Amino acid sequence: MKLYITALLLLMLVTSCSKDFLKEDPKSSLTPDNFYKTADDLNMAAIALYTQVNGAFNQSGGFSTLWGGDDMTVARAGNKISYSDFDTYQATSSNDRMTNWWSYFYATIKSSNSLLSNYQNATAASEDDRNHAAGQAYFFRALSYFFLTRTWGKVPLITDNKVDYSRTKAEPSEIYTLIVADLQKAETMLPDAWDGTKRQNGVDIPPTRGSAKALLANVYLTMAGWPLKQTDKYALAAAKAKEVIDNKAAWGYELTTNFADLWKKTGKFNHETVFGCYYNVNVSGWAWENYNMLTPNAYAPDDEGGWGDGYGEINFYKKFPPGPRKEATYQSVYYINNDPGNAVDWTKTQHKHPYFFKFRDDDAFNPVNHVNNNWIGSHTVFVIRYAEVLLTYAEAQAMSASPDATAYTAINQVRNRSGIADLVGGLSQTAFRDSVIAERGWEFAGVEPAARWYDLIRTETVGKANSDRDASEETLKSIPDDASHTFYWAPIPIGDQQLNPNL
Amino acid sequence: MKSYLSLWKKLFLCFVFSSYALVLYAQQPVSGRVSAGDTSLPGVIVYIKGTSVNTQTDNNGRFSINAPKGASLTFSLMGYRSKEVSVNNRSTINVELEPTTQGLGEVVVVGYGTQKRKDLTGSISSLNASAYKDQPVLNASSALQGRVAGVSVANSSGAPGGAVKIRIRGANSINASNDPLYVIDGVALSSIGIQDINVNDIASMEVLKDASATAIYGSRGANGVIIITTKNGKAGTTHIEYNGFLSSNKPMKKYKLLDAVAYAQQANHIAGSAVFADPSSYAGKGTNWQDLIFHTGVTQNHQLSVSGGTEKSRYYISGYYVNQSGLLVNTNQEKYALRANLDSKLSNKVSIGLGIFATHTNSHNNGDIGSKGNPVTAALAWAPTEPVYDSGAQYNRFAVSPIWSNPYMTIKERKSDNSANSAVVNGRLKYDITDWLSFNVNVGLDMNNTRNAYLNNDWISPGNPGSGQSYLENYTLQNSNSLTFHKKFNEKHDLTVMGIVEETSSKYNTFTAAGSGLTSTSNGYYNLGLNTSQGISSAYTNWALLSYVGRASYTFNDKYLITATYRADGSSKFQSTANKWGYFPSIGVGWRLSEEQFIKDLGIFSNMKLRGSWGITGNQSINPYSSLGLLNGVQYSYGTTTLYQGYLLGSPSNPDLKWETTKQTDIGMDVGLLGGRLNITADYYNKRTKDLLLQVPIASYDGGGTMYKNVGEINNKGFEIFVDIAAIQQHDFSWTATINASAYRNKVVSLGKDSILYRPIIGGGLINTNIQVVKTGQPLGAFYLVPWQGVYSSDNNGFKAGDNHYTDVSGNGSIGYEDRVIAGSALPKFQWGFNNNFRYKHLELNVFVQASHGNKIFNATYAGIAAPTSDVKYPTLAESANYFTSKNTGAVWADPASKTNRSYVESTQYLQDGSYVRLKNVSLSYTLEKRATRFADIRFTLSAQNIYTITKYKGYDPEATSTSATSDADAGIDLGAYPSPRTITFGVNISL
Repeated sequence: MKLYITALLLLMLVTSCSKDFLKEDPKSSLTPDNFYKTADDLNMAAIALYTQVNGAFNQSGGFSTLWGGDDMTVARAGNKISYSDFDTYQATSSNDRMTNWWSYFYATIKSSNSLLSNYQNATAASEDDRNHAAGQAYFFRALSYFFLTRTWGKVPLITDNKVDYSRTKAEPSEIYTLIVADLQKAETMLPDAWDGTKRQNGVDIPPTRGSAKALLANVYLTMAGWPLKQTDKYALAAAKAKEVIDNKAAWGYELTTNFADLWKKTGKFNHETVFGCYYNVNVSGWAWENYNMLTPNAYAPDDEGGWGDGYGEINFYKKFPPGPRKEATYQSVYYINNDPGNAVDWTKTQHKHPYFFKFRDDDAFNPVNHVNNNWIGSHTVFVIRYAEVLLTYAEAQAMSASPDATAYTAINQVRNRSGIADLVGGLSQTAFRDSVIAERGWEFAGVEPAARWYDLIRTETVGKANSDRDASEETLKSIPDDASHTFYWAPIPIGDQQLNPNL
Repeated sequence: MKSYLSLWKKLFLCFVFSSYALVLYAQQPVSGRVSAGDTSLPGVIVYIKGTSVNTQTDNNGRFSINAPKGASLTFSLMGYRSKEVSVNNRSTINVELEPTTQGLGEVVVVGYGTQKRKDLTGSISSLNASAYKDQPVLNASSALQGRVAGVSVANSSGAPGGAVKIRIRGANSINASNDPLYVIDGVALSSIGIQDINVNDIASMEVLKDASATAIYGSRGANGVIIITTKNGKAGTTHIEYNGFLSSNKPMKKYKLLDAVAYAQQANHIAGSAVFADPSSYAGKGTNWQDLIFHTGVTQNHQLSVSGGTEKSRYYISGYYVNQSGLLVNTNQEKYALRANLDSKLSNKVSIGLGIFATHTNSHNNGDIGSKGNPVTAALAWAPTEPVYDSGAQYNRFAVSPIWSNPYMTIKERKSDNSANSAVVNGRLKYDITDWLSFNVNVGLDMNNTRNAYLNNDWISPGNPGSGQSYLENYTLQNSNSLTFHKKFNEKHDLTVMGIVEETSSKYNTFTAAGSGLTSTSNGYYNLGLNTSQGISSAYTNWALLSYVGRASYTFNDKYLITATYRADGSSKFQSTANKWGYFPSIGVGWRLSEEQFIKDLGIFSNMKLRGSWGITGNQSINPYSSLGLLNGVQYSYGTTTLYQGYLLGSPSNPDLKWETTKQTDIGMDVGLLGGRLNITADYYNKRTKDLLLQVPIASYDGGGTMYKNVGEINNKGFEIFVDIAAIQQHDFSWTATINASAYRNKVVSLGKDSILYRPIIGGGLINTNIQVVKTGQPLGAFYLVPWQGVYSSDNNGFKAGDNHYTDVSGNGSIGYEDRVIAGSALPKFQWGFNNNFRYKHLELNVFVQASHGNKIFNATYAGIAAPTSDVKYPTLAESANYFTSKNTGAVWADPASKTNRSYVESTQYLQDGSYVRLKNVSLSYTLEKRATRFADIRFTLSAQNIYTITKYKGYDPEATSTSATSDADAGIDLGAYPSPRTITFGVNISL
């Protein structure tokens, strides 16, 4: 009988600890419940923002939506068809290259929203730390929506962290309202300078107060053009850009003396960068968003083992004013099959086009024979350069007031650095504006985020720019109409349309 | 205690002297051979009448037992009439058994106990080791393939120790696991897999299929249960057996690719310019990348076992070694294993047992080779015009096409080593409280400790070599305590009632240390401090199950059978108490018609039983913490070489997540004809799985990714049949065969508010949209592709002659992903196996055919080399040369140089029929009997596997897929999948 009891006791024994036995305790993971408490938590949440923005700018994918500009074209062959679809105005919602921007910018927005709805709970952090974290989230959310709405026009405007399959598209005016509000908060909450790991070689890696002001100036300038055409924003753009110019010492912004130095592998940290995305191919382990696939192979010619994701349009190249800027922007000598003994100019390359050289010089690039020993690199992507602030000021000042001396000074700083003469004096408002637009084209050609395409759509000149397309270029499937704005916006990616018919 | 001491003493002596002439008993050894006709019968139980002393015949039908001179021996085996023979002072007794009604007396292992086959109400298939004795089998899953009705087995990776996909009666779940539960000697495996078990130690496997059989495992029974029983010693003399084989492995086939000249010409055509100045200069030159990466692999396999015991204690000890080199060069796996099974009766009432299995595995470059740029796809896509080396030993790293690295370099320079220690340990205690009540305790541990280490030298990671190690440990502890009541009343009523409490907990810990900027590669991966930038990480998970189980079986008059089970399971993976607990009842009934006089009067049926069952089982096999909404780690470098940790918001938490449940109904029949020479088992089943644990996609605008929800319903119904025929039974010649076939239909009944779910993109860069969907009304693994109709032969509606012709399903005037349609499923509809054994005197021939029908494979490997894609500029496939030109208007392929053509890899053009009929094994063996060798029974076997395959599939191997073996919603995509080899094997079995 004793044994019965023992047996039953044994059976009971195992049930005694049941309460904690079935409780989940994720000891090695952070949950939203135990996060956003300290300054370190806020810092780790900010790192999430950097990686997601980095992911948008580290490959040709999303940039391909800008190929409709007259500065860039690509072979309509093989695996370049999806890029060519934007170049020749026939992209559909199935385009596989553009989704990279859609995904990464919205991922940035998700992380920003989460940080914004939680930063005030970080009571263990100082008020400065909380403001700096929130300021970054506002900046990155604004930056993401700025790219999204310029690329796709009407897109869902999301400020929460819900999962919602019935969201609708917002009008650009609503989106810009949020962008402006976010940047106005960012310019008060962000610091003038960072320290520690956030400052490398004397350069601030995350955005500063100055970055927010510069971005806001660009946003106002865009709002003054298509599609909002709120011309009162020119004055705001000029004022905001002027704040950056007048206080540039506070943030250490200046033009790099030699344009070419920006594009050397030694130029990854520089004071012209008002906001940039920083990469390093030599990190340990696999960390995709820390690699830059724009360099060194993506824009290298096929003749040198490159991918040729895009190259210069011939007439744009011909119009490009000669000088050190042009020499740094385009490749001048091509080594067929990487043989320095077989050096030719662009007309002898396989695709008979000039190639951009801005993203070539990197660790894995061999300048002797132009071999690219890797297809990822460490080059910085300059999202906003001080040159853009100057040109934004010049255009906005001319359009809101007149092309006065300050406007001329601004554009001539950029021109002189490029080795070209001052702009002819006494230009009319629109002639001056057109000169600035052209200047922006030369300055940022070759896969910079301050893209020619955005200048063309806000000034409604896409069709006009295409009228001067060289006859040897790929045939355009359609010609955009500057009155009805066809092909100005990319089609919404099919993936989200499938999940939400409202798109 | 005493019996244990003697056991250990005996083991010790065994090992020291390796001698079998060890006679500890004062009885006379009797040995002999048991046969039927002239077929040796393994597994015959030989009892000394009136005692519990018994032994079992070996694979050659031989037995040896110590018996008193005047004793009688009984010989019994499932399917044969038992025989009694008196020893009569003889030392050799050869016995012939006659076949009878098959299987009825056979003892079948069921969940937490055993039952006689005649008493079963559930659908359970048994597979005895003798069924695959002449096929070189390295893995228990290969033994199951094609031999059990309703069980589908596919070798999804042919890598040494590669993944195998096993499904019992189809797939129930979309995101939770569809793998069956493996229970080895009462321990449900969690930390290790079936591939870690030494197949040579397996005595039998029982496959539990219907709810009456599986509901006892409620929590994890929904996908079926495979119960593995390992060998044990038999009382009597010591038995020593050696089993070994040597195989040579070759690829079954290779792709036909363009030679260098044709490739260069085609590249020039595509580029529209002279990529290659003089294609003809490549005549007779060029690199055959396929030949470089594949080679003839060799496998050697050795197993030595010793078993025996006394009336009170029995033992089985085995040692195992296998060394396998893969089809891909520089891949290898080596395995050592040891097993000890000990059983002892401490008293009349108490017996204990201990099973220890330990294995050590070293794998070299055997892991997942990665996605689209893996060496298999890269070797096919790499330009034949490229040399292996630029100069000397300097690899040619990049090709004119594709963008992936030199595959020969990747495979030769890769150094990724895995060293694993796994063990299954279980202790058993049985206490017979009275003759009708017993108490059982089973304590089990299965564990796995693995170290992974890699070195990326300058070739693998140009300019930035690195090294790293990771270590993981996984321990699962299980304790089951049961009380069993069994009593027969009035001869007619037989009642068994059992209660169980069980507790399982599984812990997982891992840490990784890795770095880059390695300053010297001379220390391999042993000196991680040489890395200039270093990173560490670690992770921990734990899950637990608490279960209460009851089962009652009642038999009336050996005719009417009923079994009922009930199980309550609490799982840690769900949050609230209400959601944690799942309740799983089942009931099964049986009617042995052959015991009824009116059937007996017919004189046709030696056996006839009708079975029916209904029950509910559950599934909770998602990762721990899946419903908690954890943050996701990311790393950022600020442009430096050091990475800093950050966190992203993950998917939202779901406190409402609960069990996925499956209701199954089964109707079956067992029939014996021709005096038991023909046996048929047939079953029909219908399973409905609801509250699927589904990973619902989140829109990219909400951050993308997926979250778990209980959504939808899936239906599986099918029919399976197993036929066992003793076709010819003559003195010198016999032919026995088994045929099994199963057909099933899988259908998604509902997906909640959605009608379609898009699966993640596999092979991004090559495949750029979801090509598989889960759609209401369709089976799992459904392909969703743009319909391809060929090539336009003349200009048509904006499309030029020579352009791909797709169907504009959406009617929007353009072709795009909006035109995708359901184009078939990766799930096979019908599978069968046909196993034959022919015997002529001492020669035996086994011919085994296995087949699968009705499944589609998306051949992304083929697509990647057939037309220009983002990673591959110039195709290499020989067939691709048949492209459209003005002179070749009947071509299959679009003109790759066309500027108007838009090609979609994601089209039906690359969907291929995956059906196959495969001659899986042919083996010929010859036995030299002991009386001839004076030493032992020696059996030689020469065999070949994967000899011939009839298939329309254009890839290497229709069994091989790149989709995970654990998934069924993503299935049947071949993206450089590792093919199974064709092998030729010579084997020896020595038994003494």
